[in-house]
Amino acid sequence: MKTAISITDLNYSYPDGTKALDNVNIEIEQGEKIVIMGPNGAGKTTLFLHLNGVIRAEQDNVKIFGNNIGSMKTEDRIREVGVVFAEPDDQLFMSTVYDDIAFGPLNMGLSEEEVDRRVKKALATVGLEGFEDKVPHHMSFGQKKKAALAAVLSMEPRVLVLDEPTANLDPKSRADLIRVINDLNKNHGITTVIAMHDINALSELADRVYVLNRSIVAEGPTRDIFSDHVLVKENNLDAPDIFKFFKILKCFGGDCDQTPMSIDESVKELTQAIEALEGKMSLHIHESTHEMVNDVISSYRH
Amino acid sequence: MKYPEIDKYAELDSLIHRFDPRAKIITFTLLIFSFVFIEDIRIAFVSLLFSFFILLVSRIPFGFIFNRMKPGLIFVMPFLIVMPFALDGNVLYSYNGISISYDGLYYGSLVVIRAATSIMLTLIMLGTTKMDTTMKSLHSLKVPSPFVQTLMFSYRYIFVFIDEFLSMWTSMKAKGFKVKANKHSLSIIGNIVGMILVRSYERAERVYHSMASKGYTGESRTIVKFKMQTADYGLAAILIGTVLIFIIYGMSLS
Repeated sequence: MKTAISITDLNYSYPDGTKALDNVNIEIEQGEKIVIMGPNGAGKTTLFLHLNGVIRAEQDNVKIFGNNIGSMKTEDRIREVGVVFAEPDDQLFMSTVYDDIAFGPLNMGLSEEEVDRRVKKALATVGLEGFEDKVPHHMSFGQKKKAALAAVLSMEPRVLVLDEPTANLDPKSRADLIRVINDLNKNHGITTVIAMHDINALSELADRVYVLNRSIVAEGPTRDIFSDHVLVKENNLDAPDIFKFFKILKCFGGDCDQTPMSIDESVKELTQAIEALEGKMSLHIHESTHEMVNDVISSYRH
Repeated sequence: MKYPEIDKYAELDSLIHRFDPRAKIITFTLLIFSFVFIEDIRIAFVSLLFSFFILLVSRIPFGFIFNRMKPGLIFVMPFLIVMPFALDGNVLYSYNGISISYDGLYYGSLVVIRAATSIMLTLIMLGTTKMDTTMKSLHSLKVPSPFVQTLMFSYRYIFVFIDEFLSMWTSMKAKGFKVKANKHSLSIIGNIVGMILVRSYERAERVYHSMASKGYTGESRTIVKFKMQTADYGLAAILIGTVLIFIIYGMSLS
């Protein structure tokens, strides 16, 4: 498997001298789904601006598929990495949705026919067919968010970076967007890197998690990260509700092999656990149950 | 939310709506320039009637155009009020040393009629074409790119700023703020305007990042698909002919 993103010892300070990134090291394989978590102001957006070369690293320490992003030509670097920022109004700067989605491909120097094909394909991917002539101020927040994603998909990047894709979306739009991102990853082989605080969407969007707090504090599978409650607390994070619930269930004797991270996983784990106990799981309260429950709750409480 | 959309009725169907947007910009600009230099008030009045006729043909509701003409007319109205008193010439009426001159009234009215005509034509020109098409037409007419881009981004972000302003305003009202004619209200409104400036500066930076992420290097690239039809040439010829008639008739009078 190829390495899609390789960042070694990346440092960045704001013009006023504040350190935004401190010795950041990240290695992401092609086709992986990565979530980057961390408190507000941890440097996630700054890191993303390095990933597509908008901010150029001083040394050649950001490599995309082995090539230094800083020395790539504009058309090439936007072909490799597409960044969808958090606020859709910042990304839909043209007068119509069509022009916004055509903006990247036109800058890549593609022919008008190819641009047209890509615009239509990107709109179909996010489920916004027929929105070509819409103006952004007539669209809902969810539609704008999808249009902003389409405006990046039209460049057909190999790596898709998304900053808070599910923030402020209604549950239906959120589910739609998660489905689109997963489809892109699974069926089109696009490597996805997502920054988000939406912990309940984590299991669907992450193979691995990086915890960023100016430097990389931790890295690993989601379950390992959230099992470390000290790490979670220190970095202003929280574990998914279902994960905490099964930790509590364990105090009552409801033990599963692995603590589930999502509803789907919980069904699987619970079924396996009950089947192993010959179809019956008994829950009970003993002397130390309440103490154990309190310990679990307080370990994740801020 | 009521947005100040200039192209609200651009989807209607009329002779003016169907007119090629590039030819429309050129002919309407010629009309406006020839009308604002008219010296004779009778010809100026005919030009106003002609603009009104174009408005009728365009089928845009009168109320929509007249509402948008108001700010411009309020701006030129002082000419009509001040000039009759300020300009020397044939005295129409005099009272206690204050006199109203015929020449002042004549030129004041001329300024207002010229302004009304040009504002009406501009609004018809912009109101019968979608804003993005107008921008693309300017682009294809080789209007300098920084100018077109500035216009385009201004138009796009007016609506975002209105939303931002209204959300701030709502939150202030939710905290009991009422506008009064005092220093406190003025300073609060000043703060809001300052806040919008700061926010727009920050937004500009984020928009730039997003543009750079899509390969923007300062050049505006866009797909333009316009094609002049016979009807467009015909209408352009009629409008340019009108311009010439007004100029020649104006010259014959002077």
